[in-house]
Amino acid sequence: MRLTVNGVVVEREIEPRRSLSDFLREDLALTGTHVGCEHGVCGACTVLLDGWSARACLLLAVQCDGAAVTTIEGLTPAEGLSPLQEAFRACHGLQCGFCTPGMIVLAHELLARNPAPSADEIREALAANLCMCTGYVAIVRAVARAAVARA
Amino acid sequence: MAAPWVGRALPLKEDARLVAGRGRFLDDLAPGRLLHVAMLRSPHAHARIVAIDAAAAAALPGVAAVLTGTEAAAGSRPIRPLIPTAVPVNDWCLAVDRARFVGEPVAAVAAVDRATAEDALDLIRVTWEALPAAVDAQAGARGEGPLLYPELGTNVLWHDTLTYGDVDGAFARADGVLEERFEFSRYASTPLETFGAIAEWDAGTAGYTFWTNDQRPGLTLAILAESLGVPQARIRLACPDIGGGFGNKRRPAYLLVCALLARRTGRPVKFVEDRRESLSALMQAAGGVMDLALAYRADGTLLALSVRDVTDEGKNLVSPAQHNLIKLGNIANGYRIPAVRYEAWSVLTNTCPAGANRGIGKPFMCFAIERAMALLARRLAVDPAELRLRNYVTSAEMPYTTPPGAAYDSGDYPATLRAALERFEYARRRREQVSARAAGRLLGIGIATSVEPAGTNLASYEIITGRRAASGSAEAAMVRIEPDGQVRAALGDPPSGQGYETVVAQIVADELGVRPDQVDVARGFDSATTPWLYLSGNYSNKFSVTDTGAVVGAARRVRDKLLRLAAHRLEADVADLELRDGAVAVRGVPTRRLAFRELARTAYADVLGLPPGEEPGLEARHAYQNPLAKPMDAARRVPSQLVFANAAHCCLVEVDPGTGGVKILAYAVVHDCGRELNPLIVEGMVHGSTAHGIGAALLEAFRYDERGQLLTSTFMDYLKPTALDVPAIDVGRLEHPSPYTPLGAKGVGEGGAIPAPAAVANAVEDALNSYGVTVRTLPITPEQVWRWLDSRQFNNVGSNFSESPQ
Ligand code: FES
Ligand code: FES
Repeated sequence: MRLTVNGVVVEREIEPRRSLSDFLREDLALTGTHVGCEHGVCGACTVLLDGWSARACLLLAVQCDGAAVTTIEGLTPAEGLSPLQEAFRACHGLQCGFCTPGMIVLAHELLARNPAPSADEIREALAANLCMCTGYVAIVRAVARAAVARA
Repeated sequence: MAAPWVGRALPLKEDARLVAGRGRFLDDLAPGRLLHVAMLRSPHAHARIVAIDAAAAAALPGVAAVLTGTEAAAGSRPIRPLIPTAVPVNDWCLAVDRARFVGEPVAAVAAVDRATAEDALDLIRVTWEALPAAVDAQAGARGEGPLLYPELGTNVLWHDTLTYGDVDGAFARADGVLEERFEFSRYASTPLETFGAIAEWDAGTAGYTFWTNDQRPGLTLAILAESLGVPQARIRLACPDIGGGFGNKRRPAYLLVCALLARRTGRPVKFVEDRRESLSALMQAAGGVMDLALAYRADGTLLALSVRDVTDEGKNLVSPAQHNLIKLGNIANGYRIPAVRYEAWSVLTNTCPAGANRGIGKPFMCFAIERAMALLARRLAVDPAELRLRNYVTSAEMPYTTPPGAAYDSGDYPATLRAALERFEYARRRREQVSARAAGRLLGIGIATSVEPAGTNLASYEIITGRRAASGSAEAAMVRIEPDGQVRAALGDPPSGQGYETVVAQIVADELGVRPDQVDVARGFDSATTPWLYLSGNYSNKFSVTDTGAVVGAARRVRDKLLRLAAHRLEADVADLELRDGAVAVRGVPTRRLAFRELARTAYADVLGLPPGEEPGLEARHAYQNPLAKPMDAARRVPSQLVFANAAHCCLVEVDPGTGGVKILAYAVVHDCGRELNPLIVEGMVHGSTAHGIGAALLEAFRYDERGQLLTSTFMDYLKPTALDVPAIDVGRLEHPSPYTPLGAKGVGEGGAIPAPAAVANAVEDALNSYGVTVRTLPITPEQVWRWLDSRQFNNVGSNFSESPQ
């Protein structure tokens, strides 16, 4: 199977039952993608699949043959942080940080499609993922701040 | 001195790696030749294990070892409980001859990957003999139902009545008594990262190394050494980044299973729970039933409180009655209640072990008291805020000791409530509520206030055991200036999202005159390098009460040594020296200075340059115990927890009579956690903690059927609040520093989770006022609301429909 991960072409033979999240974490050592439930609810495993957010735990890696996958590692500049990541840090839009890569991928998708979301729109988009630590308040703030920074 | 770093809303050091996905969590670790563990779990709530045939599983290619309960019992000792049972019972890391809840592990497989290990589980044949299950703690308290441990002769682990003050007299004199029964469902804070561990056996040194996201390494190290029969010196335990804890992240049994498999296979083995395992078998807040009676005068003054509390422990043998003790310690909330009676039952059932969960016991205690205050206000036709204001312990009375022995150190509870009312615009919202109701909308306002203790004094277990084993509240830390002059610190308390790398750096920076970014704080915990105590760990809100003291103490020792070294080398008096910008300088003479790097060279390399008698090196350890912890006295009073923050929550909800849905329209919190060490972290704690309480109020419940089957074991049926369920919580603060903590700080991790369930419940009841609804249990699901409204509508129209089936 052949796919692009964070801009790099990857060719592997893999077991059909390997999930995309296991493939990224175990085979490619991209451990920024986390696994919180493995049943498609929490969104800790969110990655971009051809530009759209997707649950890596619900996808089989083989389903992604030919696709372009972007993980948190692919959204992180070689030096420093992206403006969205900076906003999460400035607002402390995280605590334990376990949901954070998934949240940032999700927020990245939101801002790509809607550069100036309202607080309600942010909440609606973020409701796809669970955070057990922050009560979401600071995450919503962080995304709003990133939107302003990009405007 | 420059403005202190402590107190500033500094962005977090650790956030920089976490936002980039560069955190290092347990499951990110993969030592070479690693094996993966899967556990076979009981499908029965209660069953005898007649036989286990694991031959086919062991023969599956890729499987390295299978461990059954019998083998585990042969290779390890039972886990010693914190509070022993009257008759000793053996609690091994795997169920041996009997499974006692759905999800209890009975066998484990180590294989080349998790999928293979799970395949092997399918090949294990267990012959079960199903037994009737005990699922009703109330029945257990009455001595009814099947026994989990026949050798105990009862499912009641603890039953006692504690009386403080003239309770009977107060009830006799009272103008009125409010009596009510409240129920609390089981729920959990469910950290997003599940629990896990890696164990490695070193045959050469006959020792084990563990990596785990266990929150309480000190206690766990003791259990591991004892159960494995290995000296503590040969056990190393390390914690990486921990993805949330909230009290849930502990299960020494899983570490023992990994250790036995590692020893058997000679390879490192890893176990990480999946979500279903976590929800069904890790840790749930104890549910239960509380009967409460509140004696009052006609003006609303509280005279006495009597509580009968049946706690459903599940299969919790490790820390039974812990919920009871914590409830007792916080029974009076912020109120002046002169006489208190508490009758406690701690009851085993065939359900998941109950245990620590954000606020342990206090959310239920606060729910009962704050619901009672709401009902009393309604009965007396007094505003619920006013009723509370009449009964608070005032700051003039502090330090104030409650009847069971909790010592309220500082704070202004009336001021907290008043500030919250103002922030919430209480008066305006009450007016709006009237007009909204007139327009047919079901709007309700709820108030709940709470005290929030920090630090657990384990001496309180003496109430149950009659003797003292562990006691007090303490933590250890290390501060070191490396040979290159860089500052490093480590703490025995592994954080799980509380930002200790940043706060500890702020504290050390102030003590040593450097910037926080010049202080490297060790990630997590490592028993080989971190100073630690049996009491070490991330629990009970204790950072402010003990950890700060450990860090300050270690930093001061290093500072004193820096001063002595510099005085010697600069030929100056210590009193004339100051620490600033990473150097020691003579005050007023900036050119006469020695950078830490130069002093470190003396300390580590050019040791002949040390003052006579001075020990080489620039490192100090310090352990600190909070002075408020005391043993139990003759009247069985004991401060079970130490320093008290407080908070007031105001909540506006709207109930949709069509769907039964409850929407939170506004939520204001004013809290007072003493001096805020980093307001950015503090505010986040209040948000997150409140969200946990909202989840418990409206969504979350572990539901068991009458045979002990868990009906909510995934996030599809155990519902967590999303960004659409949690409102934009508005947080205000007061700061009354504690006189009894080194930096004046108090706990803040639990303060939202304690009153929020009550605040939301009070608001819903207020919204449904015209229906005569009394909220006695949580969560308030749409179905529950719909049932209330439905039955009322039928009643209101005088319908002939009967609720009972025809
Ligand atoms: S891990 Fe994929 S949705 Fe939870
Ligand atoms: S920060 Fe811990 S789960 Fe979101």
